[in-house]
Amino acid sequence: MEFEFRFDIVWNNFPLLLEGVQTTIILSLLTMLLGTVIGLFVAIVRLRARKIFTVPLIIYVEVFRGTPGLIQIVWIYYCLPIVTGLQLDAFTSLVIAMALNVGSYLSEVFRAGIQAVNKGHIEAAAALGFRPGQITRRVVVPQAAYRMIPAIGNVFVSAIKLSSLCSVLGMAELMYQGQIIIANFFRPIEVFTVVALIYLIMAYSTSLFMMYLEWKLAWVRRENVPFFENFKQISRSAFQIKPQGDL
Amino acid sequence: MHKSFGSLEVLKGIDLEVAQGEVICILGASGSGKSTLLRCINQLTIPDRGTIRINGEQIGYELATNGDLKKAPQTKLAKQRSRIGYVFQQFNLWPHRTVLGNVIEALKIVKKMGTDQAEQIAIDRITEVGLLDWKDEYPATLSGGQQQRVAIARMLAMEPDVMLFDEPTSALDPERVGEVIEVMKALAAKGHTMILATHELNFARDTADRAIFIDEGVIVEQAPAQIFFSKPNSQRLGSFLKRMSM
Repeated sequence: MEFEFRFDIVWNNFPLLLEGVQTTIILSLLTMLLGTVIGLFVAIVRLRARKIFTVPLIIYVEVFRGTPGLIQIVWIYYCLPIVTGLQLDAFTSLVIAMALNVGSYLSEVFRAGIQAVNKGHIEAAAALGFRPGQITRRVVVPQAAYRMIPAIGNVFVSAIKLSSLCSVLGMAELMYQGQIIIANFFRPIEVFTVVALIYLIMAYSTSLFMMYLEWKLAWVRRENVPFFENFKQISRSAFQIKPQGDL
Repeated sequence: MHKSFGSLEVLKGIDLEVAQGEVICILGASGSGKSTLLRCINQLTIPDRGTIRINGEQIGYELATNGDLKKAPQTKLAKQRSRIGYVFQQFNLWPHRTVLGNVIEALKIVKKMGTDQAEQIAIDRITEVGLLDWKDEYPATLSGGQQQRVAIARMLAMEPDVMLFDEPTSALDPERVGEVIEVMKALAAKGHTMILATHELNFARDTADRAIFIDEGVIVEQAPAQIFFSKPNSQRLGSFLKRMSM
């Protein structure tokens, strides 16, 4: 018996998948946003505050990086109400769980990016009479932000895929909708293939956006190359791009 | 002035008075405390004991309303530092700003000048170090000597009362040292107050009013430059000069 692909089933149910896409996008964007806030907070406290304040944050980062996202999601939804008595709806608790996960990774990205700024550049500003806040805004942030973007992109793309775990709590996002179609028509290969392609499109759009940001923030732009040209150059020869600026 | 790093005492009591318009060269082997001394002057390194006064004002401190001296808050220290120019061995230009941007930045942020006025001053200073044609370049595209000249222009633009140079030519290719020396000689000729840590003996001999030899955290010898080089008093300075001129 020969296997016959039945993609028509997927097309017939495509509106269902699109509904899922919408939820996935909302979940992912909120996760990225909240995760960024958490990550920035953790990174700055770890760099600036006294040791005792950083210990709980280190534990937080290690726990959320070191345990499966699935368990984090389930635990926060089912156990948090038991432990704290705080009852959250599925959507909120999912966003919180994923943001904590994403935030733990981002905090390390931010911490590394801030620390990588040449101490001499900071001293130069201090010697000229910049106040600490001015040094942060004018010297540290512009340099750190540019260098952190590829790493932030990694975490954001992972966040989109992380959101697929929300299906276990019955959140009607893309993966869940796919599973519904599979349960009705018994066509997992076709459905998963299309679902994967949709994830790929979302992930690649995120990558493109991060590339755009990187281009936007780059301080040395050869002859003001427009973004699309720059993008063509990158895709043509990723390994020929020279690092710009001093390191 | 005293400064220790852990159990290592780097500065073991340095007393130094500099007159307005004086050019002072500090000489000494690596690790003798030259940089630490300069860094203590503008509090990039906080000294353990001792005071720094510029025009009577104690750096890093301020007078409280009751007349007592107390540690200055960051804003006050920043204001004091803005009147002390500092040139680093490693230039420390900001890579995300052009030459012009590097020189303008402090005028706008610290002195709160408008863009036009700041740009005018910056252009003058960049011209003074001979880099007007390079004003829109980024530091990464400049040679070491050019970068150091931009760093000097950036410092000059703030019109500091005293200029500190921390081995300004030590990170340069030998053929690039000359252009930076020329700029510094011109500054000395204009009557700026300068304190330089340097290994450039010829520059020190020709330009400095006074040369100071630091070894193991103390001033071993200080004298007007001519006498300093021709008749070293101490054995330590003698052998240092011999080693350096080899």
